[in-house]
Amino acid sequence: MTQKPSNNGPVLREHVYDGIQEYDQKLPNWWLFTWYITMAWFVIAWFAYYQLNLGESGPEQVERELAAIKSSQLKALEKLSDDKLWAMSQDEKVVAAGAATFATTCVACHGPDLSAKIAGAKLPGLPLNDAEWKHGGAPLQILNLVRKGAPDVTKGMPPWEGQLGLNRVVEVVAFILSKHKQGEPVTLATDSPLKK
Amino acid sequence: MTSTTTAKTTIEFDDRTVRRFMIASIFWGIVGMLAGVFIASQLNFHQLNLASWLSFGRLRPLHTNAVIFAFVGNMMFAGIYYSTQRLCKARTASDLLSSIHFWGWQLIIVAAAITLPLGLTRGQEYAELIWPVNIAVAVIWVVFAVNFFWTLARRNEPSLYVALWFYIGTIITVAMLYIVNHLSIPTSWTHSYTIFAGVQNGLVQWWYGHNAVAFFLTTPILGIMYYFLPKAAERPVYSYRLSIVHFWSLVFIYIWAGPHHLLNTALPKWLQMLGTFFSLMLWVPSWGGMLNGLLTLRGAWDKLRTDPVVKFFIAAVTFYGMATFEGPLLSIPAVNALSHYSDWTIGHVHAGAMGWKGFMAAGMFYWLTPRLYGTKLHSTSWANFHFWIGTVGILVYVGSMWVSGIMQGLMLNATTPDGTALVYPNFIDTLTSIRAMMGFRIIGGSLYLAGMLLMALNIWMTIRKGSPVNETREVAVIERSQRDTMGLKEAFLNDPVACTLGGMVLVLAWLFLPPGADVVALVCAGVFIFLVVRRFQKGHHIWSRWHDSLLHNWLPFTVLSFVAVVLGGLVQIIPTVMVSRAKNVEDRIQQPYTPLELAGRDIYVSEGCYNCHSQMIRTMLPDVLRYGDYSRLGESIYDHPYQWGSKRTGPDLAREGGKYPHSWHYDHMKDPRAISAGSNMPAYPHLFTAKFDQKTLWKKVAVMTRLGVPYPAMTATEVKTAAIEQGIQIVKELEGQGRVGTLPDTQIVALIAYLQKLGKFDVPDLEGRLKGTPAGMPFPLRPGIPDEHRAATPAK
Repeated sequence: MTQKPSNNGPVLREHVYDGIQEYDQKLPNWWLFTWYITMAWFVIAWFAYYQLNLGESGPEQVERELAAIKSSQLKALEKLSDDKLWAMSQDEKVVAAGAATFATTCVACHGPDLSAKIAGAKLPGLPLNDAEWKHGGAPLQILNLVRKGAPDVTKGMPPWEGQLGLNRVVEVVAFILSKHKQGEPVTLATDSPLKK
Repeated sequence: MTSTTTAKTTIEFDDRTVRRFMIASIFWGIVGMLAGVFIASQLNFHQLNLASWLSFGRLRPLHTNAVIFAFVGNMMFAGIYYSTQRLCKARTASDLLSSIHFWGWQLIIVAAAITLPLGLTRGQEYAELIWPVNIAVAVIWVVFAVNFFWTLARRNEPSLYVALWFYIGTIITVAMLYIVNHLSIPTSWTHSYTIFAGVQNGLVQWWYGHNAVAFFLTTPILGIMYYFLPKAAERPVYSYRLSIVHFWSLVFIYIWAGPHHLLNTALPKWLQMLGTFFSLMLWVPSWGGMLNGLLTLRGAWDKLRTDPVVKFFIAAVTFYGMATFEGPLLSIPAVNALSHYSDWTIGHVHAGAMGWKGFMAAGMFYWLTPRLYGTKLHSTSWANFHFWIGTVGILVYVGSMWVSGIMQGLMLNATTPDGTALVYPNFIDTLTSIRAMMGFRIIGGSLYLAGMLLMALNIWMTIRKGSPVNETREVAVIERSQRDTMGLKEAFLNDPVACTLGGMVLVLAWLFLPPGADVVALVCAGVFIFLVVRRFQKGHHIWSRWHDSLLHNWLPFTVLSFVAVVLGGLVQIIPTVMVSRAKNVEDRIQQPYTPLELAGRDIYVSEGCYNCHSQMIRTMLPDVLRYGDYSRLGESIYDHPYQWGSKRTGPDLAREGGKYPHSWHYDHMKDPRAISAGSNMPAYPHLFTAKFDQKTLWKKVAVMTRLGVPYPAMTATEVKTAAIEQGIQIVKELEGQGRVGTLPDTQIVALIAYLQKLGKFDVPDLEGRLKGTPAGMPFPLRPGIPDEHRAATPAK
């Protein structure tokens, strides 16, 4: 008990280092208790997660959320049909929303006029303004392709359902259909995987 | 203390080395910050990517390395050489070693400034320098260490002052971190692969990276604070016992916090938990340092008005307090989900770098220069102006990065009210929204740089006015018996050491023992800690006396601080490195790269793509919706170095492979804005003409094989042929898409090959996986990974 600081003021230690002296103050209580709380928090959290099995791991949480999205999408998809999509292609509001998404997301590969060309130069995508379709020209076929994509390093299409969400995908398809007419002839491209 | 014989001697301090390091620090600081302002401008004006060697991806490492190792490094050496001599009452042990240290360090910086723009890099943040330079750094660091400890051993002051504790912690820990994180196998004089891959690499990298912040950028500066702040304030240090508690807890806890750089990633949960909670526990020891700095000024606050040195110091300590509060905040997984990969992190480090290190440097230089040149500072009002322009610069910078990071983070993570879709599906929209903030950053950084230039001018004028002086002082030579007499037993077999280690063993037993035993260990730990506290309350003077005598003995002190820093790394890294690969891969195994893809990967690393693109889809819904299925550990198991990244200036690329046709990448690399309007990515025209490395490719494949990547046996010719054949295939496919005229041996072809491979994995068959798991009865108390114990127990 040689250097116990009294309440009359801090103890100045006698040792001097190159002119520097040190008080020997008590540790501030708020500082100490904050620290104890952070330590207690560690013990509580670890105990809750590993001993009581409370809480979810990251993958568990994502899988649960994805499953919920999937079931709501399934419900929405049940309501869709070729006729319904054609009808949507006549709905100005839906088409305008689809056009807006197209202008930011699809235009780079399919071109502003859907020709997959810009100033004569060929873009990476396929033209969407002609009657030739690689993966089928029926509205639900188009919808399915935009949703799931057809990844391929030569003429690939990424899946868009995750990034855009089903609603936007439906709108984009409605926009594309608005450039076509129901009942127009549909031909399959020569390299179509559907041809066989 | 009265000594029987007091032999006196007059010593001349080696202040020339201090002057050299100080001037070098100012010079490199300006260079590094100029690079910073330039790359910040490149983010807003892509046209400033003027040439391949002036592109963002190559200059960003130059900026970080220059500021960390050249500016703060030289500043730290200046402060350490100045204060250590005075605190030891002895001239630095060897002038030759001091000279080697100084010139060696400058040569390393020059080497870095040449190699990084050339694209020669190891591809790990703050550990980019190539292996010959790594060896030079290690050698020079050892020279520094020998010089420092030799000086300690010859000191004429029996007791070690707190500043020296921090220097000791710095020197041993940086050596440990640097060497382990740079273990690599060379493939040529300028290229090597790290021995760690995937998650192991990530863990070791952030064990290093986080503690580079701790032990290169914080502990030496704290030591400098403990010397220069009381000097400038002419007041005693606030609390000696606070120094003790915050020193030991800081060096011990800091090491554990590295995994907070990998939150919500594929990193095993137990490591993420340790990262988060040790970061929270770190907050308080950090604030211990801040308190000891700020409260030292009690009774001298008036100096804040008159003395620019005190002004700089107090602002620096305040920024330290801010940054060390923000750090734990960002380590909370929910906050990190927003902040990680965003500008918030950039703002956080700059609050620390510009506010804490930069202002400590400025204060110290303004204090030192008049003393080193025997004159008065040229202009106090310039120094005051530097303070204000610097402070405004920091606030503009940090403020704009907060706004930018939080805004972009919120936009990227926003989902529609029904939770089924992203609100902002286009990454570009989120980039466009932070453009203005990135503009403010340029202004903030420029203001700060202007302050640095003003300081350089001020110091230069002061130097011209004065002339170099080496302080001489008469000191009492102390007897050998007054210092460094502690025996092994006294040093290591005593209450404080035994209680601390005993408590730690029990806590570790709780973390790692199987269910049942772990709770018993927790209860034991609680009882043990209770008993220790009782024992301490009764006999704390024994603890104090022991620590006081420890301060008279540099070697036991150094050994014990090494024990304190080594533990966290061992606990976190060894299980991850030792566990067989099969256990790490979960349900997916990455497909090894073909030779061409490997060549393309080296181009990706060399161009510094990882500075803006992550390859890690976190276990978060917005990440999964935007980029695809979350990344698994097994998917980067062959990545030497790993490329999980730490910042998303552009989108994640973990599942980029096969998404788009070759022509998309071809057009995009030629002119990113042709594909995505508003992009700030540099164009890479040189990739279309430059050839990929065929000469050492076989060597690279051979080293990868040695590191355990399952390549079939291939001769050098076979490697080359395989690469060219795949190149021809890609060129043909490109031609089919109307992109004619590409040669199969160009870098663009290799890079496309690599990008198209990203995210490709195999699913190992169940039988193969089962074979990997050991059978038989496990020893009842075998420690294991906490996550496995949790998975083994039935869910709630």
